[in-house]
Amino acid sequence: MLDPAVMMEYMPAFWDGFIVTAEVSILSIIGSFIIGLLIALLRISENKVCRFAALFYVDIFRNIPFLVLIFFAYYGLPEVGIYIDAFWTGCFTLSIAVAAYVAETIRAGIQNIDKGIIEAAKSFGFKRVQIYTKIILPIAITSSIRPLGSVFINLILTTSILSAITLGELTSASKIIASTTFRPFEVYMFLVIFYGVLTFALSAVIAGWHKYLNRYNEA
Amino acid sequence: MYGDQGFTIFDLQLWAEGLGITFGVFLSSSILGLIFGSIIGLIRYYNIIGIGRVLMLGSEFLKNSPVLVQLFLVYFGIPALFTIDLSPVEAAIITLSGNTAAFIAVIVISSIDAIDKKQLEAARSFALSEWQILRLIIYPQSLAFAMPMFVSLAINQLQVTSLVSVIGVVDLTRVGDIINQRTFEPFIVWPIIGVTYFVLAKLVERIGARLEQRFSVHQASSEI
Amino acid sequence: MIEIHDLHKDFGDLKVLKGVDLKIKPGEVVSILGGSGSGKSTLIRCINGLEKITSGSIFVDDFDVRNKKDLMEIRKRCSTVFQQFDLYPHLSVLDNIALAPINVLKQNKKDAKIKAMELLRSVELEEKASVYPAQLSGGQKQRIGICRALAMEPNYLLLDEVTSSLDPEMTAEVLVILKKLAKEGITMISVTHEIGFAQEISDRIVFLDEGKILQNLSKDEFFSDEGGKSDPRIAKFLSKMGNQ
Ligand SMILES: Nc1ncnc2c1ncn2[C@@H]1O[C@H](COP(=O)(O)OP(=O)(O)OP(=O)(O)O)[C@@H](O)[C@H]1O
Ligand SMILES: [Mg+2]
Repeated sequence: MLDPAVMMEYMPAFWDGFIVTAEVSILSIIGSFIIGLLIALLRISENKVCRFAALFYVDIFRNIPFLVLIFFAYYGLPEVGIYIDAFWTGCFTLSIAVAAYVAETIRAGIQNIDKGIIEAAKSFGFKRVQIYTKIILPIAITSSIRPLGSVFINLILTTSILSAITLGELTSASKIIASTTFRPFEVYMFLVIFYGVLTFALSAVIAGWHKYLNRYNEA
Repeated sequence: MYGDQGFTIFDLQLWAEGLGITFGVFLSSSILGLIFGSIIGLIRYYNIIGIGRVLMLGSEFLKNSPVLVQLFLVYFGIPALFTIDLSPVEAAIITLSGNTAAFIAVIVISSIDAIDKKQLEAARSFALSEWQILRLIIYPQSLAFAMPMFVSLAINQLQVTSLVSVIGVVDLTRVGDIINQRTFEPFIVWPIIGVTYFVLAKLVERIGARLEQRFSVHQASSEI
Repeated sequence: MIEIHDLHKDFGDLKVLKGVDLKIKPGEVVSILGGSGSGKSTLIRCINGLEKITSGSIFVDDFDVRNKKDLMEIRKRCSTVFQQFDLYPHLSVLDNIALAPINVLKQNKKDAKIKAMELLRSVELEEKASVYPAQLSGGQKQRIGICRALAMEPNYLLLDEVTSSLDPEMTAEVLVILKKLAKEGITMISVTHEIGFAQEISDRIVFLDEGKILQNLSKDEFFSDEGGKSDPRIAKFLSKMGNQ
């Protein structure tokens, strides 16, 4: 028999899991954004070696399953003397892996900028760094809010995989609730709906933000 | 207990078996997902018996929740609720097919929407049947439009198959885990597993590029 | 003073500028005329260093475009107004104007903005200060483009067909401003298809043909029947432009 009320009693445990998911997500979003930005800049650099290295990075992390990466990090890092817990292993691995998607998104945003605008800036004597910080990146990032948002929503969904390395996030918490209640269907159904509503709400916020920031842009 | 027992020839066999399982799960869930996703998309497009919306809502939840949780829901949840038995492989294929179908349905609908409405009106004015319109006009054009999205979905879903290891399917990732637990050589085991996935992904990409070319050429020649 | 000596510019196999010699003295207003593809834009882009020159030399106030440090100085002294406006889409009109003075000339933010506001007033767009470029008409955008260039207090103003993306009414509103500037004594190098405008403001006309200077004459000489018009290519060009 379906018993929808089964979760009620376990909301505190569920909430604890949610907090961990939120923490990992926020830290990894920041981390992947910073790394992704650097990779994007390397990806369009004039130096061939840099370009190739960045392309290689993107290609690797977009084509190897996250579960494999996280196992590699979780079992590999202690071997080289780095002892960090599941939380930080998760944050670092997520940041590094998702950075590949961030980089591609930002690169697309940069390449969509009208070349004339960049030339105009050059002609006024801005230094290279200034052209990037004052012109190129602000335009590229503002116009990429929506696609970056989908990348980060995917990141949030991916945090569930960290349950495989024993991190006590939402999915782990639900696993424990499911095995104590013997009600896996209700628990996981609740979790699917929870993630669904969460990501739906986030995409709505991101879409609104994107629209607001790009309100004066043509196209 | 862990032990440094080193690698054996059986590890190679295990690897090959894992590769086979990964590929099998990928292929079967892709095909089933393609079939069911297309059906859902068409039901939505023709708005048959009003269930289109419900199916699309379900698709949204499948697209917007972790596949790992969906796997748990199917593997642990369904047997508990309906008191039936599901093997890990069955649960894996059911889940991944459903998940793939959700993405396919959305692609199918957007591809049909991309077709110029005037063409369809013109076709109807020539008294073509709805079936003929679907087969002769909608199908070839929307396929050309959808092909690149199908390919990137396939590359993504290939990676998603690794999650089935968590419910005990002995796929590539699970094989990696087993060998890693025994040999304790993460710096050898995981790179090999990673490269295997990478090569598989490149293979899918290649085949996908071929298909893309094929279907876009098909479209171009049929327009002449 | 801008001194261009034996300037060559190739794009791969395509020779676009084939030995251009030109001197522009402070306070002069020079119009560059010539058919499409004759290399007018390329010449302007070589002066502000947007194109690397193939051979020859360009000196602006004794700074050498081939030298990286010098080029930065040249760019402070030459401001360009572009055909497609190329305003920064993410910045308000005021910030568009003040960005380079603040970041390149290191002017104090407040002063730069006050100055930008004055410039806006001079082109009668002060009410648009906080608006974004996409909310402006073409003519308004180009007036902002001119303000952005003037905010650098340049010694030289480079104009590349600044009205060719505009309809006649908007062209007129931009030309009024440029005429005023020419009278105020700013040095101007202007590529244009507006013959009447060139005739009105220029001290000198340079006619480019297939990457070479065909004529470099004072305005009066250029438009006289014995002078520029005696060259059949120029006569043809002028009659074609006049017919438009
Ligand atoms: N970046 C480039 N790469 C290759 N060829 C170029 C490039 N820029 C310009 N050219 C070529 O150089 C020639 C001169 O171009 P330029 O833009 O200087 O002409 P123009 O006199 O300004 O013409 P218009 O009146 O049409 O603006 C043209 O044949 C053009 O195709
Ligand atoms: Mg030009």
